[in-house]
This record gives sequence, structure tokens and C-alpha cells, in this order.
Amino acid sequence: MARASRATSSDRVFFRSRFAMAVGFGGLLAIMALAGVDALNVLHQFRRKDDRIRRRYLSQNHVLNDIRSDVYVSGTYVRDYLLEPDTERAGAYRASLEEVRRHMESSLEAYRRDVAPTEAQHYSALQVELRDYWEILDPIVKWDPAERRRSGYAFLRDEVFPRRQNMLELAGRIDALNEQQLDSGNHQVVALLLSFQTRLLLTLLAALALGLGLALFTMRRILNLEEQARLQYVEVAEARSQLKELSARLVQAQETERRSLSRELHDEVGQALSAVLIELRNLSAGLGVRSEEQLRRHVETIKGLVESTVRVVRNMALLLRPSMLDDLGLIPALKWQARECSKSTTMDVTFAAELDSDELPDEYKTCIYRVVQEALHNCARHSHATTVRIRVRQELDRLLLTVQDDGQGFDVQETKGMGLLGIQERVTRLGGKCKVHSQPGRGAILSVELPFTKGNQEENTSAYAHETNSHPVG
Amino acid sequence: MKQIRILLADDHTVMRRGLRLLLESHPQFGVVAEASDGRQAVEQAEATEPDVAVLDIAMPNLNGIEAAQRINAALPNTAIVILSMHSDEGYVLRALKAGAKGYLLKDSAEGDLIDAIQSVYDGKTFFSPEITKMLMEDYVREIRTRGADDSYDLLTSREKEILQLLVELKSNKEIAHVLNLSLYTIETHRRNLHEKLNLHSLPELILYAVRKGVTS
Repeated sequence: MARASRATSSDRVFFRSRFAMAVGFGGLLAIMALAGVDALNVLHQFRRKDDRIRRRYLSQNHVLNDIRSDVYVSGTYVRDYLLEPDTERAGAYRASLEEVRRHMESSLEAYRRDVAPTEAQHYSALQVELRDYWEILDPIVKWDPAERRRSGYAFLRDEVFPRRQNMLELAGRIDALNEQQLDSGNHQVVALLLSFQTRLLLTLLAALALGLGLALFTMRRILNLEEQARLQYVEVAEARSQLKELSARLVQAQETERRSLSRELHDEVGQALSAVLIELRNLSAGLGVRSEEQLRRHVETIKGLVESTVRVVRNMALLLRPSMLDDLGLIPALKWQARECSKSTTMDVTFAAELDSDELPDEYKTCIYRVVQEALHNCARHSHATTVRIRVRQELDRLLLTVQDDGQGFDVQETKGMGLLGIQERVTRLGGKCKVHSQPGRGAILSVELPFTKGNQEENTSAYAHETNSHPVG
Repeated sequence: MKQIRILLADDHTVMRRGLRLLLESHPQFGVVAEASDGRQAVEQAEATEPDVAVLDIAMPNLNGIEAAQRINAALPNTAIVILSMHSDEGYVLRALKAGAKGYLLKDSAEGDLIDAIQSVYDGKTFFSPEITKMLMEDYVREIRTRGADDSYDLLTSREKEILQLLVELKSNKEIAHVLNLSLYTIETHRRNLHEKLNLHSLPELILYAVRKGVTS
């Protein structure tokens, strides 16, 4: 029960920390990805904008240059046309002039498509100027060679050159504006980069903070887990060494028991039987030789020897396994134990039982019997108690056993004898719990709780019946 | 003189043979059947209907107490003596509850068997002297260590008389006859007796009487 609830609570902790870590790492990765996408986006924008500004500048510049060179070229053609005496050649110049005009107009049209608001004024001025220029040139097309020779130079000087100068100035101004445009475009791009820089800085700071938090959290978790693992390891190691010690002591106890049994068998039973053998030999040797009185004495000796041997063997058998437990059940066996203990020690041992039925499964009977035996043994050896109370009670789902003495008590933390360990071992094997309450000078209570259900009982009753029927040792 | 017909049940052949030799040295006893386990003892008893069945308590297949129970149920006229290694009162009480009238320790069987068979045949109880001694000592020790009142002192002399007769396995009717009282009076006395001693069955009363040394 306790283990289960501990497991779920630790599961909950694990789940929570896993969730937190998933959120943390997810957030961190998301921020980094966002920052990367943003950076790529800004770079892309930057390059496109920069590209556009540059291309626009270049194309406008190119158009302006075209216009400018057209103005020059048209001047040259006008001059060549005016000064050419040959009519045919003059016609060719005029055609070229027409072509330049068309080219210029198309250039002007191209520029108009992408004119910036700041340039609009200068652009329309240039437009007017150019239109005027071509309008001025219009009449000269119709001039004959004589008129051209006559007033050509003056026309060039007074009309064409000043206007050309004007136009070139305008084009230069537009050019400057265009350059200004490029400059402001560059400024825009730089501003874009700057804002991006700030954003990137913020993003990086956030990522750093989150990463730091995450690192701290993870570190703490890991340290916690490490500590837990260490504690668990210590616990396991402790349990293992306890187990080792216990098994060593159990083996030792077993050896001691065997040694005492062997000694008893050899010293008591063996010796007595040898003596019986000797007496029997004496008896048979004396038959018909000695007096009846002497023979009777031999027989009496043999009887005495056999009687004491029977007693020894019975006591040994009882110590190993009281047949009463199998023949009569737990309660009579415990009553007997209480009586025997009262007889053989100075303690007054009482026993009370509240059981629905005495027909418990064998392992329960044995466990309770041995626990009581061990507890009484401990009381007799260490406690100096005058009374010991044994109680066995059956509840709905468990069996309760208490052994209470009024002896000198002991420190539960410090004292853990073989007896108590053995009791614990037996009780644990049946899935039960075992507690000792004691304080120096205040007696001691051993309480044992064994899980036990009715179904369990019924299931085992047949085994019990079978066993009692088979062959109880008398 | 009529011979007492006896059934002997013990899983140890040596023991059985020893007891049989012992019994056959007395002309008033005749061993009519032998059994080496409890089941066989029940069968033999039903087949021969002996006067007395001597049952070892520790036998294979069916132990002596259970065999006693079955024989007692089937043949109420067969008196039963239990042979046992155990001198504990738990066993004695159990044997009495199973319907045995005698309880004999194996150690002293050869000395007391004749008396035991004769007693139960005569309708009395019999316990090995060691058992009686032990039970009485236990009782005395209990009174002493617990400082308890001796409940025997609570009994009137009439009740004591009736207790003694009950322990001699007399029926209420017989007791009424012996004491020259009505059956109703005897029943009332008997109820009081159970009440005062807090003992609610005849076997417990018998054991109590043995412990008190009421029986001879």
C-alpha cells in the first residue's frame, strides 16, 4: 500500500519534471528556430530591397545618361543638318535626328514609369524643356539649304545650345536626386538591419535566459536524482548486508542447534542405550546364575534408563516440532506453551485467543507458534518479567498477535537479537508486519500482524485436514 | 466369569505385542482384534464390537482421537482408552471430548493398563497417575500464582456430591436415584455447577474434577 502510493507520487514528480523539461527545451528550440527564420527573412528582405534600390538607381541613371547623350547627339545632328549643303545628306541627318527624338521620348517614358515623388517636379520640368526643344527644332526641318546656310549658325547659337545646356542641367539635377534616392534607400536598409539587430539581441537574450533556467532546473533535477539513487544504493547495500548477517547468523544458529541435538543424542540417548545394552548383557549372563533379587535390580535399572531416554527423546521431538500443533491445533499448543513456560520459569504466562476457528493454514500456525516460542524465550532470558500476556486475535482480514511483558524493557533501536530477527524473518515471509515497543524499565510489547482472509483459510483447510489425517507424530 | 473383549490399536507392532502379552497374562481379558492404524481400528471395532478399545493417539490414516470419535458414535457401549505420549491437558481434554473414558501414558501403560481397562469397563474414568498428579499441580500453581479464588469453594456440598457422581460418568437419572432426588432437582444443580465453574461440557467438568482431586 505504502509502496504503491510512493510509486505514484514519484511518478507524478517524474511526470512533472519531464513536462517542465519538455516545455523548457521546446521553448528554447522554438526561440532559436524563430530567431533563425527571422534572420533569414530579414537577410532576404535586405538583399531584395538593396537589390531593388541599386537596380532602380542603375536603370534610372542609365535612362538619364541616354537622355543626356541623346541631347548631345541631337545637337550634333542639328548642327550637321544645318551646316550640310548636300540635300541628300541633310535628309539622312534629319532622319537620324528623328530617330534620336523617338529614342529620347521612349527613354523619357521609361523614366516616367519609375519616377520618385521627390523627382516629379524636376522630371516634368525636363519634360517641358524637351518638348520645347523639339518644338523649336520642328521648323528647321522644312528649311531649304539656302536658309539653313543663312540662319543655321545663329539658330544653333541662340536656340539650341542654351536649351541643351538647360536640359543637361535638369538631367544633372535629376541625377543628383536619383543619387539621393539611392542614399535614402541605403539608409532604409541600414535601419532595417538595425531593427533586426535589436530584435536578434532580444531573442538571443531570451534564449540565453531560458537556457540558463533550463540548465539550472535540469541540474537540480539531476542532482536530486543522483541523491535519490545514492540513498537507494545505501539502502540496498544496508539491506543486503543485513540479509547477509542474518543468513550468517541463521546458519550459525542452525549449526548450534544441530550441535546441541547431536550432543544430546550422543550423550543422553546414545549413552543411555549403551547402558541398557550393558545391563541387558549382565542380565542375560546372570540368568540362572544370580538370585532373582539381583536380576530384578538389573531390570529396574534398565527400566529407569529407558524411561529417562524416552523422556529425552520426547523433549527433543517437542523442541523440534510440537506434535500438538498438528494434532490439536494452534490454541491448545499455545496454551500448552504458556503452561510449560509458567512451569519452567518464574514468569506467569497467560494466553487469550479470539479466533473464529482454530483451523488456520499450516504456515500461519507454525509462524505464530514459533514467534510466541521465540518471544517467550527472549522474555525468559532477558526481561526479568513476572507476567507475560499472549493474545491472538482474528480480524476481518488479518491475524493479530501480541506478546506483552512487564520486564525491564530495552532500547528497540540498539538491541536486535537473533530472536527478533528470526521473528521478523518469519513474519515477513507471510507478508506480515512486526513491531516492538519497548523502553528501558517499561516492559515490552511485541505485536505481529499477518494478512489473512477467509478465502485463504478455506483454501487451506483441506490441506490441514489432509495433514492431520495423514500421520501426526506422537 | 465373562471375559472383557478388547480391541488393541497401535501402529508399532512391538508395542502392540507387548500390550497383548500383558493382557493375555490376565485371564479376565481377551484381545479380540488388533489394528495398526485408525481406519482399521474403526473397521475392526465395528466388526467385533469389543467392550473396550485401546487406541494409540498417534496412528497413520486416522489418529486415535478421531478413531475414538467414530467408534464412540457407532458403538456407544464400547469404552475407549487412549494411549498417549502426551501428558498435556490439551490432549486429555480432546480425548475426553472424543468420547474416551480413559487416558493412559505410554510410559506407564504396562502398570496401569489393567486398572484402566477394568475402570472404563466398569463405567468409570481413568487417568494415569502422572496425569492426575500433573493436572492437580497445575491447578494448585494457577491458584497460587494468579491469586484466584478457588471456584470449588463456591460449590455447595450437594453440588460437590453431584460433581463427583458426574465424573464417575453417572447419568442424571442414576444420580437422582443414588441421591434420592427428583430428576428436575438434579438438572438444576447441574446447571448451577456448570455456571459456577464456568465449564460447559462434561469433559471439562471431568478434567476439573481430576485437577481438584475429586475423583478417586
